Amino acid sequence: MFDFVGKRKVFLLLSLLLIIASLIFVFTKGFNLGVDFAGGTEFVISSDKEVEVNEVRDILTSIKSDYATAKIAKLKNLNVENTQLFQYSVVLKDSLSGDTSLKEELINQMKAKFSEKGVKIEFLEFNDVSGYAAEEIKSYAWYAVIISLILLLAYITLRFKFSFGVGAILALAHDILITMGFYSMFNIEINVAAIAAFLTLAGYSLNDTIVVYDKIRENMKKYRGKNSIEEIVNISINEVIVRSINTSLTTFLVVLPILIWGGKAIAPFAFGLAVGVVVGTYSSLYIASPIVIGWLKKSKI
Amino acid sequence: MKAHRVRVIISVLVILTALLMFFWPSNENVENSGVLKYLSNIKLGLDIQGGSMLEYDMKLDEGTDPNEIIDNVILVLRKRLDAAGYTEAVVTKVVSGNKIRVRVEIPGITDVETAEKLIGSRGKLYFAEVIEVQTSDVKPNVSRNKYVVINGNEEELYDYVRDMYDETTWYKVKKYFTFGAEPFEFTGAEVIDANADINTRDQGFKVNLKFSSQGSKKFELVTGNLIGKRLAIILDNRVIIAPTVNQKITGGSAEITGIQSIEEARNVAALIKAGNLPVDLVKFQERTTGPTLGRDVVETIIKAGLIGLAIVMIYMVFFYGWMGVVADIALLFNSMLLLGILAGTNAILTLPGLAGIILTFGTTVDGNVIIYERIKEELRHGRPPLTAVRFGFDKAFWTLFDANLTTVLAGVVLYYFATGTVRGFAITLIIGTLGSMFTNLVVSRSILESTSHLINVKKYQKAAAEEGK
Repeated sequence: MFDFVGKRKVFLLLSLLLIIASLIFVFTKGFNLGVDFAGGTEFVISSDKEVEVNEVRDILTSIKSDYATAKIAKLKNLNVENTQLFQYSVVLKDSLSGDTSLKEELINQMKAKFSEKGVKIEFLEFNDVSGYAAEEIKSYAWYAVIISLILLLAYITLRFKFSFGVGAILALAHDILITMGFYSMFNIEINVAAIAAFLTLAGYSLNDTIVVYDKIRENMKKYRGKNSIEEIVNISINEVIVRSINTSLTTFLVVLPILIWGGKAIAPFAFGLAVGVVVGTYSSLYIASPIVIGWLKKSKI
Repeated sequence: MKAHRVRVIISVLVILTALLMFFWPSNENVENSGVLKYLSNIKLGLDIQGGSMLEYDMKLDEGTDPNEIIDNVILVLRKRLDAAGYTEAVVTKVVSGNKIRVRVEIPGITDVETAEKLIGSRGKLYFAEVIEVQTSDVKPNVSRNKYVVINGNEEELYDYVRDMYDETTWYKVKKYFTFGAEPFEFTGAEVIDANADINTRDQGFKVNLKFSSQGSKKFELVTGNLIGKRLAIILDNRVIIAPTVNQKITGGSAEITGIQSIEEARNVAALIKAGNLPVDLVKFQERTTGPTLGRDVVETIIKAGLIGLAIVMIYMVFFYGWMGVVADIALLFNSMLLLGILAGTNAILTLPGLAGIILTFGTTVDGNVIIYERIKEELRHGRPPLTAVRFGFDKAFWTLFDANLTTVLAGVVLYYFATGTVRGFAITLIIGTLGSMFTNLVVSRSILESTSHLINVKKYQKAAAEEGK
């Protein structure tokens, strides 16, 4: 039997350090906000010949000097009917939403200037989010996160006890903060899909925590009076650990290939889940349960 | 044993229904290649099949109620898109807070700029005298056109315009009125209101028109000069209706009679009103995905998902023996169920939705693992396999219930607040999680109860005995 509870102070300290590191990243490095949240224009072009990112920038700059600040990235090659196409993604700070002619000019000029160099390009994707839209999406993302937290707290309080609810929410906050730190550290884009990953992670982490709590509740009835709270919690965690590891491992095994091969479109989502599964499992073993021990002792069930 | 039989029957019925919904031959001729052709019954989001989503804000004058305008805006956009051949486009109203917007979704479009021009341009409504009506497949030429000077510009006086509903009917119209001191045009700007009504005097329905004070003077002049002739009302160069002028109309209001159905009357009224609406549409956001990109990403994700699935399936068999095989069956059962429900309910499958499906693999495995750990506990206590299976399922029920309901709750919130493709994720997450609960509690149970003799009891009892030492 592993002693999860006895070493809880060490792990609480570790978590605290991780959270602090995470906050430092978030506040100094910040997030790589996608156009969903920052507004702007994002497009993906394909070309039949390989070009340098610099050349793409030169062409953009020659269309409009403001475009010099564009974020340009080369994506993995695309295979269409046995021909290789090269892919580039471009993110412009400005939204072109207000004016159809701006967008038309950009598209036509890019096609023209590339064809002067003998390169044929196609626009594969074009996303344009106005500042207003970004504001709206941002505020809805907050609502979504806050309302689901309240609902989940209410549900756990109803099914278990308030103290468990608080423990679960603390573990959840822990998971989300640390995962956010990883997003910042690896410069992974935060977009609507990333928020979806956060909420899934929330559900997943809670799922894990609830399974442990469920066991604690059962064992508290079983060992009432015979063992201390610390022992009961420790027994409970040990009894569910195989399940926790199996579940996390299998989920991780499913998400990992998607993160590796899924490409740019799904990466912000898969990254959140891959990190979240690991952090969520850790927290449900070392944080969520040990944290409620003090509380349970006081309330003497 | 009765409960067991019920479970078996329900499981079989459910999977048959799911398979039926998934493989039901679809009427639509969707041409998909690669892996997508296996999903022909499932509605694919624009991010997978390619297409464009355009959302517009209405630039309203102060004090204008967007609710009054939005239906007309939608109707006009619908007609324009239909006329331009984008018949698969979907035009919807989007309510977000106190804002009302218009969303246009056009599947498979590559030339978005043309559509944007069509949507963004303000419609021009005007009245014109009908000179003659002709049937032709192509636009007839006006021979020896005349010119008038309007606001300092020289304009052609005659033109052919097409009927709104009949592609082959062409009206030769005189676009400007040449009676009075100088030539003038009569546009929708002079129309204050238009509404449909029942014709109380004759049979059928009518449309009432109201003009501005300047408009009524012009209209009096126009009708006074055109008695017995037809006056066309034209929107975006299409004739909405061309009634005959019966008398000189004074007093600033007129009625168009002789309309057969209330729908037609409403349509005419809405078009006249909409053509006159002072609404500019400002693009709020656009999401366009080309078909090649969507397909490429989907193929990669499906491949990656299948690799993950295979690893998990092997892992489960390795770890749980026969019970692992049952978990794998549950996994396939739930995936099939989810696809069947997606096909049957016309829910839209998006890229994040695919991720949601892959995630339900995790939920299904998780449910099985929770149950199996319970069963193992019971086996260690020396219970016979069938009893252990039953106890295991009963004890795991509430754990599964609580654990999955929290996921569903998060999914519902996400569905409510998210827009676009992420909604697709919420949908698959909710269906998949509920499905995994059903699969685990009903399907896995009926299989394991029937095959409990295949569980390697000794392995777990031995493990328990060693632990006891």
